[in-house]
Amino acid sequence: MRSLIRFFSSLRLAIVLIILLAAASVLGTLIPQGRTLEEYAVRYGGAAGILVKSGLTGLYHAAGFLALLILLGLNIAVCTLTRLPGKLRRAFRPRLETEAKALAGFKIHDRLKRSAPLAEVRERLETAMREAGWRVRSESRENRVHILARKRTAGLFGSDIVHLGLLVLLAGGIVTAAAGFRTELALSEGLTLDVPKAGFALRLDKFDTEYHPDGSVKAWKSSVTVLEAERPVRQAVIAVNHPLTHRGYSFYQMSYGDDWDATRVTLAVRKKDDPAPARPIILHPGRRLALGDAAGSEIELKRFLPDFVLGEGNRPENRSYRPDNPAALVEIRGGGETAFEGWVFANYPGFAQAHGREASGWEVGIKAFDAPRFSVLEAAKDPGVPLIWIGCLLGMAGLFLAFYWPAREIRAGLEEANGRTDIGLGGTAAKGRDRLQAEFTALVESLRRPT
Amino acid sequence: MTESTFFAAALAVYAAAAFFYLLFLFNGKERSAKTGFAVAVAGFVLHTGALILRTVESGHAPFTNMYESLSFLAWASVLAFVLVTLRFRMHRVGPYLLLIVIGLMALASSPLMPKEATPLVPALQSYWLWLHVSVTLLGEAFFAIAFVTSLMYLKARDPEKKERLDAVSYRAISVGFPLFTLGGLVFGMVWAQKAWGTYWSWDPKEVWSLITWFVFALYLHTRIVMGWKGRRSAFIAVLGFLAALFTFFGVNYLLAGLHSYA
Repeated sequence: MRSLIRFFSSLRLAIVLIILLAAASVLGTLIPQGRTLEEYAVRYGGAAGILVKSGLTGLYHAAGFLALLILLGLNIAVCTLTRLPGKLRRAFRPRLETEAKALAGFKIHDRLKRSAPLAEVRERLETAMREAGWRVRSESRENRVHILARKRTAGLFGSDIVHLGLLVLLAGGIVTAAAGFRTELALSEGLTLDVPKAGFALRLDKFDTEYHPDGSVKAWKSSVTVLEAERPVRQAVIAVNHPLTHRGYSFYQMSYGDDWDATRVTLAVRKKDDPAPARPIILHPGRRLALGDAAGSEIELKRFLPDFVLGEGNRPENRSYRPDNPAALVEIRGGGETAFEGWVFANYPGFAQAHGREASGWEVGIKAFDAPRFSVLEAAKDPGVPLIWIGCLLGMAGLFLAFYWPAREIRAGLEEANGRTDIGLGGTAAKGRDRLQAEFTALVESLRRPT
Repeated sequence: MTESTFFAAALAVYAAAAFFYLLFLFNGKERSAKTGFAVAVAGFVLHTGALILRTVESGHAPFTNMYESLSFLAWASVLAFVLVTLRFRMHRVGPYLLLIVIGLMALASSPLMPKEATPLVPALQSYWLWLHVSVTLLGEAFFAIAFVTSLMYLKARDPEKKERLDAVSYRAISVGFPLFTLGGLVFGMVWAQKAWGTYWSWDPKEVWSLITWFVFALYLHTRIVMGWKGRRSAFIAVLGFLAALFTFFGVNYLLAGLHSYA
């Protein structure tokens, strides 16, 4: 047990762990993380399989990396705890006694004699110290008076508070990993979805994209309603940098898109030998409608692609989700047989890639199309977050104490001999010795001054 | 007068300041160094004007693309240099630091850097942009000072001079480290939580900030607890600034991630 504590309290271990963590972190930024096996195969060829199995492609979540973090946590905890009792004793029950020889060994020290009785010199020194803002403790022991004057004692604990903050931060990370929950909600306008495990639902009322004058995107805004037991309880607008938080769940604007499968397509349909103008027909993919002619024809919108392209084997497919080449596959059946079947294009109204029915008596075009927008929100519940903020606050407070609030102390030993008092003084500071030197000199000067 | 005029003027004035400082390196006259310092301060005023004009013209913080960020890092480095010079009177730092500043600004004005002020993408529209980037880059500016003094330490021969360079490196890091921690890591996490819904996502820029932080944590622990000084500390400080520079610059061009703004 004791050797285990010694192992974990060593700074050497901390240094080794920090170097290992830094090296592993570098590696993790050189190998792209969390991609698919196919992507690795393209990049690394035959080595891809081994790479994925070794955990290097999910390095920051690999057991070895987590073990390093946990070891560092243990190291910090043991290191801090083994040093703490000594520091607490120094802060709250300090030894006041300092040998004259020890005082002379301080980096800042001085010695002087005053022809005044000890009690008077003691009184004068302590008053001067108090007036200069020092907290003074003293005791007299065997003809010698020991004085300890201190400032900013809290600074002693700066590094411990930083370490405590880091431990809280690590704990927060563990809570996030163990109990954090996040999922994506893809909501079309008007759609309501239950938030998993949350006991309330979210409805997307409207999704808006706002633009800057130069055409770039200014904002994506999802107007949502929170529903509890099917009753609206709250309305909010979620935008990037402006999440909504409700009952411990937060919702972030992540992405958006057009729900092309639910496109409302307006087709212009005309019988070639009919002099009447084309009729607008409104259809959704998969729906059919009677044309109301004598033959009892029916029109069906079989598919809609926002960006039509001929893929492998000349099969029509979507190139992107932008409406760059909108196309509709339309079929008209009348009297038990197909009168028209083919792709019609919004951008090329004269062109119909018809399948064997070029000579059909129908003319079909796309007049308009309108897909409902959907918004992708990320729903997250992370009970680790408060710990993270507490850890950050402690860490920053500790850094401030360690760097800008350094503890300083001046020790003095007074002895009387033949009606004269001999004064030895010594000062130490963790940082900011210039400042202490100035204060020390001022104190010595005030003692030298005649009464 | 436009922002680019002020920027060019600041660059020219910094070059003049570097000239006086270089003169000081050769003739050793305190007066040349003092002139260099005064000229550098004048350049700093012009540079501040450029940043203010940029903010007014664009309507957002002056560090949203690489051109702006480089310019701001150069400005922060001069600010750190002015503060360190006033405190420690280390004139010899001047020429080297100004060369870095001129290098950063020359890089910013290269034709490869798009300079036009574009409207902010939604992810950057937050007051955290101001807090996160300015505090981080200010911290990195102090790391730049430590980088210069550490390199000078490694080159210097005079023990007394070495002692002072070592002390200034340590002081610069003890200002830079809390600033970098606050701006880069803490403010970064707060903003990430607000914008992306997660305080940490192991994005390459986040990881490299952490690596930089590790290096300086190593510097502080070996120094304060193990009593390392001088040569070994100087090496770690140099390494730390290179890591910071890679975080700032390399990640954008060599590694892909969420942080694809600047």
